[in-house]
Amino acid sequence: MSDLLFNTSLLDEVDRFQRQMSSLFSGLPSSIRASRLSTFPQINLGSTGDSVEIVAFAPGIDPAKLELTVDKGLLTISGERARVESQPEGRCYAQERFLGTFRRAIELPRDADPDNVKARYVNGCLTISIGKRETSRPRTIAIQ
Amino acid sequence: MNTQTHLAERNPGTIARHGDAQAQAQKGPTIVPAVDIYEDTHGITLWADLPGVSRDRLNVHVQDGSLFIEGEASIDTPDGLRLHHAEIREPRFARAFSLSADFDTSKIDANLNDGVLKLSIPRREEARPRRIEVSVG
Repeated sequence: MSDLLFNTSLLDEVDRFQRQMSSLFSGLPSSIRASRLSTFPQINLGSTGDSVEIVAFAPGIDPAKLELTVDKGLLTISGERARVESQPEGRCYAQERFLGTFRRAIELPRDADPDNVKARYVNGCLTISIGKRETSRPRTIAIQ
Repeated sequence: MNTQTHLAERNPGTIARHGDAQAQAQKGPTIVPAVDIYEDTHGITLWADLPGVSRDRLNVHVQDGSLFIEGEASIDTPDGLRLHHAEIREPRFARAFSLSADFDTSKIDANLNDGVLKLSIPRREEARPRRIEVSVG
């Protein structure tokens, strides 16, 4: 202890500690963890000729607690993931799953029709299908 | 209660080495699903997020003292879908844990509901903590 406090090697000790901490955290699967902490649910977005398709990966949510709104071309998914069961006397070894309220907004393309939205919740995935307006669908033009 | 962690996570490389290693390698990378792990006197309860994985595409098995969770998400999408933005690119999940010998692997209870897998791994009867009565006399 006296060595640590009064010797010049104190700075070395700090350095060592910093190195240890950084190596500890860099060993984590950073890409997965980063995306997991920053966003829930994760979203994939695609489109076909006549619809916009959105998949939100939101497992373990009561569909009644999922709220889906479209307002001025902005689709908002919000809700809450509650704790599944309380573990009063249990020891916890890992708690990585998202817990709490969430909200994600997606700007819809201008040709999306807010009156034609279908949403399904299957196997923990929320699939949203938004129709495109009739006028914006691709069409072939007959040449006369 | 024993203070040791009984359910240690295995090196991710173990998954690739296990079983159909070639098939896994061909399929490409997998996602490590988020888990919650709790232990009480009866055993361990594990929850894993597997969105889009249906029961027939989920494979939970124990081999050589290791617990493997593997699943593949399948989502109904219309034909001709062009993906514009993807936060989940690989719809395959895999994670492995090593189990210590005091768990009864023949009595693991698995339950998949809304994309969340719940595994109950009981301790062996003889490994459960018990109170020893002290008699006076």
